[in-house]
Amino acid sequence: MSMSDRSDPAALKKRLKTLEAQTKEAQRTVDELKARDALKTQFLSNISHDLRTPLAAIITHAEILREGMLGDLNTKQRDSVSGIVNGGQQLLDMIDEILTYVRGASDQVTLVRTTFSITEVVDQVRLLNQALAAKKGLTIERLNGDDLPPVYADSDKLKHVLGNLIGNAIKFTPEGGRIWIRFTRRGRNADELVVEVGDTGRGISRGNHELIFREFAQVDASPSRPHHGTGLGLAIARKLVELHYGTIWVESELGKGSRFFFTLPLTATK
Amino acid sequence: MSARILIVEDSPLVTEAFSILFTEAGYEVDTAATVAEAIERGTSEVVDVMILDISLPDGSGLEVLGALRDNGSLPRATLAMTGHNDPVSHRKCIEAGCAEVLLKPVPIAELLRQIKRHLQ
Repeated sequence: MSMSDRSDPAALKKRLKTLEAQTKEAQRTVDELKARDALKTQFLSNISHDLRTPLAAIITHAEILREGMLGDLNTKQRDSVSGIVNGGQQLLDMIDEILTYVRGASDQVTLVRTTFSITEVVDQVRLLNQALAAKKGLTIERLNGDDLPPVYADSDKLKHVLGNLIGNAIKFTPEGGRIWIRFTRRGRNADELVVEVGDTGRGISRGNHELIFREFAQVDASPSRPHHGTGLGLAIARKLVELHYGTIWVESELGKGSRFFFTLPLTATK
Repeated sequence: MSARILIVEDSPLVTEAFSILFTEAGYEVDTAATVAEAIERGTSEVVDVMILDISLPDGSGLEVLGALRDNGSLPRATLAMTGHNDPVSHRKCIEAGCAEVLLKPVPIAELLRQIKRHLQ
């Protein structure tokens, strides 16, 4: 605002009008962007549901063949059909990830909280990922936690978060590496639990620490990237942790592995 | 006589896959693609197990259960199939009288195991 504007009421009025018009225009743009974002979310939801149905048919047909219900298969045929089942399952997991994201984006995710042992949940997720890790000669260890009190949270959502973090660790850690889960407590009454999922993988440069938690973001987004995925795993993990009033972050440097952390309230604070 | 399974599902692709599966497993199979068709099939024939898709073109699959209950034609067991893994739709299915709520696609071994268990 210039000095002449301040002393001239007419100029001041004109300026005010311009500002009002600009504010209105900005609001219109925000509303339009919100409407478009809602459309995108709806589109993702519809397309994911529609993709699921034929995929379910493909997987079921392939399973019928694999189980020999339509006649015996030789080993090569069974391996090939197993490839269809596994590929279909992988595709299905990706679609489910998109659906989980869509529900989170439109605030359709509700938590079903119970009191349970976090170490048991971690061990279940470890077990689920053991075969995949073993293929790359990776170890997944839980370093501590036997003496922890129970947590008050949604165990399925927590499994999802841990599954995403451990899945990423497996994906980005070269053969023979280590993955670990470690717990620490913090806060005035040690009433907040910090869960760490660490790995000896390739690490993430400091500039990308924020980016990786954004939806659809991948550090390497080129078509030739070695690791494919929806780019939603960490965005979903963040959403699910935040629904528990927790926070999630990463500490990492390129070439020095990664340590992902998230916090959860312990039962005493429910 | 082998048990009769009614597949209520609006996708012909999925219906065909299930038809092959259940026929090969030794069951008699009937199919319906809408709520109206399912009520008609479920009323005219005795159904042992109904595989029920929740989202149908002319309404919710759960309406089929209500109608069959009203006319005394409830199957021995109804297994709901849903694409949503959320506690609210799960609860709605159980409250409506479904014996199980299965997330699509159900691995065939699990599906056959559930059917066998509910027929015992």
